Amino acid sequence: MIRSLCALTAALPVFAASPDFREDIQPILESHCVRCHSESKVKGGLRMDTHEKMMEGGDTADAIVPGKPEESELLIRVHLRPIDEGVMPDEGQMLKHEELELLDAWVKAGAHWPKGITLTEKKPLKPKRVAMPSKAPDSVYEAAEMLDDLMRRENADTGVITTETINDDAFLRRATIDLIGRIPTMKEVREYEKWGTDRRVKLIEKLSNQPRFADRWTIFMADMLRIRSNVTGGNQLLAYIHGSIEQEKPYDEVVRELISASGRSNSNPAVGYILGDDAAPMELAAATSQIFMGVRIGCAQCHDHPFDDWAQEDFYDLAAFFGKTKQVRSRRQNGSIYTTEGDEMTILWPPEDKADPEDRRPVKPKFPFQINHSDKKPDYIKRYEDAMLVRKQKNAKDDGNASLDALLDSVEPNVGRSSNSVLKEAKAESRKLDVHGDIYRASELRKQLADLITDPRNDYFARAFVNRVWAELIGRGFVEPLDNFSDYNGMHHPSTLDFLAQEFIASGYNFRTLVRMITLSDVYRRSTLPSDTPLALREKSEKNFAAAPTRRMIGEVIYDSVVIAGHLQDYKWPKGANNKEVIREIRVPTGEYTMVENDTPAPAMMGEKKMAMRDDGYDLESSLKLDFNSILSSKEQTELIAMREESDQKIKDAEMAAMKMEQTRRVMKYKTETITETVDDNPRFDSAMRMATPAPPAHFLRVFGQPSRVGLGEFRDDASSLRQQLMMLNGRMTHEASRVGPLEPIFKLLQKDQNLAIDWAYQEILTRLPSAEERADARVIVNHSAEGMADLRWALLNSNEFRFIP
Amino acid sequence: MACKDYLFTRRNMLKTFSASMLGMPVSQLLAKADANKAQAEHVILFWNSGGMSHLDTWDPKPGRKTQGEFNPIKTSVDGMEISEIFPQLAKQMHNAALIRSIAGTNGDHGRAQYELQTGFNQNPAIVHPGLGSIVAHEREPLGDLPSLVSISGQGARAGYLGQQCEAYFVGRPGQKDPYLAFPEGISHARGMQRLQILEKMNRRTTAAKGAAELKASQTALKDAVALMESPALKAFDLKEENSATVEKYGDTEFGRGALLARRLVEKGVRFVQVNRGGFDNHGNIFEAMRNHGGVMDPAIASLISDLKANGKLEKTLVVVLSEFGRTPRINDGGGRDHWARVFSCMMAGGGIKGGTIVGASDEDGMDPAERPVKVADLHATLCHALGIDLNKELKTPLGRPMRLVRKEAEPIHELFAS
Repeated sequence: MIRSLCALTAALPVFAASPDFREDIQPILESHCVRCHSESKVKGGLRMDTHEKMMEGGDTADAIVPGKPEESELLIRVHLRPIDEGVMPDEGQMLKHEELELLDAWVKAGAHWPKGITLTEKKPLKPKRVAMPSKAPDSVYEAAEMLDDLMRRENADTGVITTETINDDAFLRRATIDLIGRIPTMKEVREYEKWGTDRRVKLIEKLSNQPRFADRWTIFMADMLRIRSNVTGGNQLLAYIHGSIEQEKPYDEVVRELISASGRSNSNPAVGYILGDDAAPMELAAATSQIFMGVRIGCAQCHDHPFDDWAQEDFYDLAAFFGKTKQVRSRRQNGSIYTTEGDEMTILWPPEDKADPEDRRPVKPKFPFQINHSDKKPDYIKRYEDAMLVRKQKNAKDDGNASLDALLDSVEPNVGRSSNSVLKEAKAESRKLDVHGDIYRASELRKQLADLITDPRNDYFARAFVNRVWAELIGRGFVEPLDNFSDYNGMHHPSTLDFLAQEFIASGYNFRTLVRMITLSDVYRRSTLPSDTPLALREKSEKNFAAAPTRRMIGEVIYDSVVIAGHLQDYKWPKGANNKEVIREIRVPTGEYTMVENDTPAPAMMGEKKMAMRDDGYDLESSLKLDFNSILSSKEQTELIAMREESDQKIKDAEMAAMKMEQTRRVMKYKTETITETVDDNPRFDSAMRMATPAPPAHFLRVFGQPSRVGLGEFRDDASSLRQQLMMLNGRMTHEASRVGPLEPIFKLLQKDQNLAIDWAYQEILTRLPSAEERADARVIVNHSAEGMADLRWALLNSNEFRFIP
Repeated sequence: MACKDYLFTRRNMLKTFSASMLGMPVSQLLAKADANKAQAEHVILFWNSGGMSHLDTWDPKPGRKTQGEFNPIKTSVDGMEISEIFPQLAKQMHNAALIRSIAGTNGDHGRAQYELQTGFNQNPAIVHPGLGSIVAHEREPLGDLPSLVSISGQGARAGYLGQQCEAYFVGRPGQKDPYLAFPEGISHARGMQRLQILEKMNRRTTAAKGAAELKASQTALKDAVALMESPALKAFDLKEENSATVEKYGDTEFGRGALLARRLVEKGVRFVQVNRGGFDNHGNIFEAMRNHGGVMDPAIASLISDLKANGKLEKTLVVVLSEFGRTPRINDGGGRDHWARVFSCMMAGGGIKGGTIVGASDEDGMDPAERPVKVADLHATLCHALGIDLNKELKTPLGRPMRLVRKEAEPIHELFAS
């Protein structure tokens, strides 16, 4: 302890004079401390609004010991790391280095506080903005240039290092990984080499039109929306999102459908969003605000928002939009689940714990966010309205009867502008029904809410999404955490964010346009900093988007990249080439029966699917593709008619009876036997992009950070772990990918010319040629043998260079 | 921080200079003077999924309509009786304590499992870490093996503690983990050679780029190889035990799980969770419970007596837990339904005073009659036994301060010898 205190003292910068209280200290205390340490809120028993109160100290220690920063609790705490307990400020932003130095010097010099000054909370300043471009961009290329220009101006005096742009090889790899979720194939490398100087533009164009683009970005949306295959409507929602991206359905339209949908997943897959939270109003209000607007108003559910200005009542106002939505389990069809609208408002004010039941009144829904009503219509809104007009005309042409469709907005199966006959039939079926009196009642309230949220004048909506897409492509958001837009949280490069958001709106919320604007910019092409960069400078440059942060591929992308690099999507061995005898245990029926309960939850917890273990334990690497088309073309539409209104209680009773019946069933007893059999070990691996989601616990994808998608604000964990390394080092997939199969091109190449084969391996796995030194090393490793080549490929696949994006 | 955060350096380097000067975190500076003298170093949690009947196990109700088919039997503790399905355990009860008055609040499997394993109610805004992850996070690792191992299924996840605090997963006890050895066909010598090639490649990349992420990945690689080479891995191999021992534990998957748990604890694993299902007995509960008894009784009783014999019991807290109990009323199908209002838990070792009975349910096992115990109190008890600060607050990755244990939770002090 003594030693460390000396170190603190020694590290303090020597100030000639004490910092000036009014000039230097007061602003720090007012913007970082007084909010929670003054008369209205006395956290930790400490007040810092007056000198006297501050000197009284807090519950545990003296906040300030004049002349002794090392004994001043305040100073100790502000110096802690963000993850340490007791770190201050507890909320909002950490103090800057300069501010820490000022505080240290001030206390050291005696912590002088001029008489009579009382501090009041100072709201954080609005982030500084620079002038926006004077005209609208004519093309997506021009938009990318304008973005770069804004970024340059916003970085003008930040003192960051702006790195060079990456070379064309690296760009091919980076863009392919980001846009379609795997490394480029040899064929794509060759094609790219042939393209001329505009090859980057061509590449972005091509990639953003590939089918895999929808696969890759479905994962992004599934993370954002917390889509889970194992909850009601999960797979339908996944398929719906995939279809929406594939068909370029505008983002605002998608969100309107998600928020307002009613009914059953089979006929209206968008309802999966509402069903995902069991149609619970509080949960949905919190999720909807945080996901689509980046505002964590959910924290105000139990109390006024502790770190922000949201009041509990604001939250209740918002929740009331969901307050008539009910989730119902139908009596028929094994109790399928749907949503409908009730007549009664279930959200009551004041909250349950703050008033007697009879004093609580139904809440009238009110949108707590400001919609920007300026007199002069901004140019991007005009352009948005033009885009809307085109969209409307197109929609009307695609399927007639637009007015009735509008009425049935939330009943119709909105899978893009689909001409799917099953869906048409379902729609026709819906039309026969009395919309008001029927079982799947549309939600007027949620429709209103959806319109308010997606209003182009709601500043939160486009910005929140742009921030997420930007972070996915660049590695860091303008706002971090991505879903915490708040005056107290700060924002980097607000003008660049505004510009992108406005262009996104003007494009009619076209997702691909947004991706193109970003990926065509210079910002997207920044290289990472060299190893000798001082850490503080590195941090600052990366935060300001002047240098690329080091990003790892997400689990799904690593998986698919190993498959592609190792030619595992096809058989690479002739039939019978890998025949081997294996001993394994099998279960055979004994002829006896036993009773089991049906609904015993598997030991795998909390709705996670139980994993069927393969005998060799390699199940954690398998992938099973979902067929999105068949998920959406369900034949269960007839149920719509069958289910007429029944009272909730009646349905419930029938449900209970049915459950009881199903609770136990007879099953055959099995015994385990050991057998020997010959298998042809010639595996193929599928893409991990369309797997049921999330993967089972301990699966490759989960180990590489796929979130459980249960909690709000749960982001991908991109940290390294021991388990990841074990799965790559010793996994079956990497092993099979390394082996040189006779049916893959490198096999013949290796027999013909070892040097060419080495170059091929490098290009196929790392999208670049080896250096002279690497080539020399590789020659020793390969030594004209397939085993040697397997060793080289194994190492390349396991290398950091493979896993981290150039 | 015991779970390895390989990115520690980067995220925090800027601030590290000051914090390391202080030498210790504020929590320790402010640590309460009355920090308990914890005895437990390890936990073995038997998780019985589905809602295990309290009436047919730890809290029999002889002579009542709710009794069911089983009679109570005497145990090694005067006045303590448990169900006849646990004859061997009855002889171990002087080492164990029963809590008979847990007042649960969730009657739904998912929610109750979440609460019992994390100590918190489900909340859409955050995923709480399971008990095992908390222990792995709060206590230093001992030896080479992972701090948290989950057998025959996965318990609660690491939540906001992140990937590093996830359980090491054993599908079936005794089953070889293919990821701990080079793939089939790759000899050890060749595998080591491959690692050398890889090491050289990674060095080149790191030399040029130097980002902390790359170094973190290399450290993880080094640790992975160290684990593959560790002699402690033998603990996973049950063939090392003689067949009489395996037989003694019952030679079931559950029995082998209990045996593996013992072996892992001996090698320093902090927290072992053994998972098993089949307790949601809405029908034919007595046949089912008789089977369960046959599986659980030899396994848990042998574990306790073996731990006692090798001196590890005092350091190892054994917990037998489920998400709720079952209805006192026996339904038409001869089963019992979900019942959270009162249920029981068994604990042994780890400084627990043997023979203790905490609380009681009423005469029919409907509600707590004495000393209701909140679910969160169980977690407080466990943390207390392990010397984990109950008031500790962590920050989630998103900056939200979170207590490890609910504020209102109280350890059950009468369980501990004073």
